[in-house]
Amino acid sequence: MWMRENPVLNRELLTTLRSPRSFVLQFVYVAALGALVYFYWPAGVDDGSRMVGPGVAKRLYDIFFLGQFCLVALLAPTFAAGSITGEKERKTYEMLLVSPLRPHTILIGKLLSSLSYLVILILSSLPLMILCYLLGGLLLSEIARSYIVLVLAAGTFGLLSVACSSGFGRTSSALVVSYLVVLPLAAICVALTRADDPSTRDFASVAILPPVCLMIWTVVGIVVNNRLLRPSDVGGQGGGVVDEEEEMKYAIGVVIDRDAFPDRLFAPAKRNDLMPDGTNPVLDKELRSEIFSQGTLMLRVVIQVSMLLSIPLMAGLLFLRSDLAAYYVAYVLTFNLLVGPVFSAGSITQERERQTLALLLTTLLTPGRIVLAKLTAAMRVSTVLTFLLTEQILLAYIMLPELRGRPWTLIVFLLIIAATCLTTSSVGLMCSALSRRTSTAMVLSYLTLLILFVLPLGVRWYLQGVSEEYDLSPGRLALITVTSPYAAATSVPMHAYRPGDAWGGDRTDFVTPPPAAFPGGWSVPVWLVFLVACPVLAAAFTGVAWIAFLWRWWKAGDGA
Amino acid sequence: MIEVINFTKRYGEFTAVDDLSFSIGEGEIFGFIGPNGAGKSTTIRFLATLLRPTSGEGRIAGHSVTEDPMAVRRVIGFMPDDFGVYDGMKVWEFLDFFAVAYEIPKAMRRRIIGEVLELLDLTHKRDDYVNGLSKGMKQRLCLAKTLVHDPPVLILDEPASGLDPRARLEMKALLNELRRMGKTILVSSHILSELADFCTSIGVIERGRLLAAGSIRDIQRKIRAHRVLKVELTSGETDRAATILRDDPAIDSVEAYGRSVTAEFHGDDEDMGRLLGRLMAAGVPVQSFAEEPLSLEEVFMMITKGIVN
Repeated sequence: MWMRENPVLNRELLTTLRSPRSFVLQFVYVAALGALVYFYWPAGVDDGSRMVGPGVAKRLYDIFFLGQFCLVALLAPTFAAGSITGEKERKTYEMLLVSPLRPHTILIGKLLSSLSYLVILILSSLPLMILCYLLGGLLLSEIARSYIVLVLAAGTFGLLSVACSSGFGRTSSALVVSYLVVLPLAAICVALTRADDPSTRDFASVAILPPVCLMIWTVVGIVVNNRLLRPSDVGGQGGGVVDEEEEMKYAIGVVIDRDAFPDRLFAPAKRNDLMPDGTNPVLDKELRSEIFSQGTLMLRVVIQVSMLLSIPLMAGLLFLRSDLAAYYVAYVLTFNLLVGPVFSAGSITQERERQTLALLLTTLLTPGRIVLAKLTAAMRVSTVLTFLLTEQILLAYIMLPELRGRPWTLIVFLLIIAATCLTTSSVGLMCSALSRRTSTAMVLSYLTLLILFVLPLGVRWYLQGVSEEYDLSPGRLALITVTSPYAAATSVPMHAYRPGDAWGGDRTDFVTPPPAAFPGGWSVPVWLVFLVACPVLAAAFTGVAWIAFLWRWWKAGDGA
Repeated sequence: MIEVINFTKRYGEFTAVDDLSFSIGEGEIFGFIGPNGAGKSTTIRFLATLLRPTSGEGRIAGHSVTEDPMAVRRVIGFMPDDFGVYDGMKVWEFLDFFAVAYEIPKAMRRRIIGEVLELLDLTHKRDDYVNGLSKGMKQRLCLAKTLVHDPPVLILDEPASGLDPRARLEMKALLNELRRMGKTILVSSHILSELADFCTSIGVIERGRLLAAGSIRDIQRKIRAHRVLKVELTSGETDRAATILRDDPAIDSVEAYGRSVTAEFHGDDEDMGRLLGRLMAAGVPVQSFAEEPLSLEEVFMMITKGIVN
């Protein structure tokens, strides 16, 4: 009953696996992995300069394992966070709950259907991994251990995302909270299972990870089961109204006060009087009414988790090793990568899903004004939330002499963060205009941002392994990464690390990463190229959003 | 006021609306009748500037729907068949939002919002959240939204769908009030009794084609081979009345029940007057003499020959 006769699982599998897209995506995935192996394959080198050896196999194994682990950490929430909120958004949640299906059957059906495709993707890489084993330098047990870790991670991350999905009303909220829970766990998991000492690795993978996962599955399973058995978020009219004041009374931890700084920057107080003349009503509506329309829980969780995570990172990356300040910036950028699309990817799709787009489009508001208001509102909220995490950087620059001596690097870091905020919001808006559903827009946004921000780093890492054969200079490799804010942040010259020299004082020994080498002999720092390219890209994304909005509205006639 | 000229909308191979033409005069209430999927909403969305036609043209108050949509939006108030509301907004905020979107200055907005709330009997809900309102209240609120810029033309797609009987009656009374205010109204429905009472003209659409358009009376005449006369008498002299009617060349058949006589008649209005004169001259005690109207349902079924749904 749980699996073979589970109607929830059967329905979801039918709709997912019978679509041609599933097969195309799987083909592309295996083909891409195949290409990775092909270019590394030593048999292809005639002069024998690249030997068959553990180095090649180990690098491929790292790419496969880390790449797939990232894939699991990023895709498991994408597939699972919409599993129950999707039912709520489609208004089929109550029908499902009143059916004779037991809550655990629904839960298992949702979990397995969300993860089945991901697990199929992971397992489809197994033959290629075995091929790498033939190169030598790898143990079969190592490969088996990796796949056990991957499957355990997929199950845990998926279940946590389903739990978030049952706790929130909208997929976007569930997704961002899932990421905030899953990504720190993923970082811990990678740190444990990739320790240099093989015995520690095996112990962590075999003796620690499975029981911890089992414990998480049991606790989260019971919580979700109870929630499905006695749902608190169903009801007739009036059920959708959120009383902010009442909610704040029982809020744990952070309390959002619209009248106080800095909360009023992202959530200005509700109006007591009519809007002044000349106000963009869409912008006003987004900031004053819609931001907390589903309650403040999501934002409170986001703020609290991000602040909590920032404390150890601040200690480690700013105060103990100030030369690694760029990595703290990378944390802030990751936060924006997660949060940015939440506020923009639903901006147009939600108007369509809620059936308010026809009301909006028959007013005198032009599409350009609507799109601009949506972008401004989304960017304002995500930028303010992101910049809350930069307080720690400011503190470090004030307190640490080795940082204080180079204030321009602080300005560059802040500009990189601001440019990233602009990019994430504009990408989300573009995907929202291109998609029919918010969940699709969210996935498309994250995918686009990963291609822009993370894929270039992976490609650079991959090409470093063959840089000698293909004559790829560090400058050429740096050029690949100019769309990545991570590369931009780490390209800012920082002082060299000296053990036992935490509070470095005035420093003159700086490490300058290789600049991007353009054809024609031009060399420009990666961060500078990024800062120039980002506004251009953001303008292009916003332009696409505007055109897509117009096109959908007029040409297809389904804008409403 | 509203003109649809050879409007056609195709989605790939499927033709949703095929060469539709009709016009609605100023102050008219035009009922757009048709079964589900007939093309009513497609036509309405085209007129509301939300849909680009495959071919054809539409004009509202002299403005082209395709060439000058902004001018059209100034003169129309549009209420879609299925609509949502913004979460986290109060009723007055919702109306203020649309009033700003229609570029109404702040100095006028307070008065206008108060007036439409009163007209729609929503004053007591002014500070309620819109997502907490009942379906009927939301319908009213949406109608209030369509009135904030005082448009001369209202385009209402199924305004009473999903309402309970009381809310349905209240909606009907509201539409009558708007009619008295001189608005030109295009209203669609597949519930015919909703429209029969207050529409000055109707258009019957099925499978994307307009089968008939005009006043209900004109359409009745066009589709009926025979008109039906019903004569009510104050006393039981039905036989005499039946004999007089049978002798008239405009009468095809006569049936008498109790104090009433029903006759199939193929004459015009003058013949009806002549017949009444003959009855009166013969001293028949006529209490009422009238053509028995066809209900809108009957008109609809006859026009569509029962092939709908």
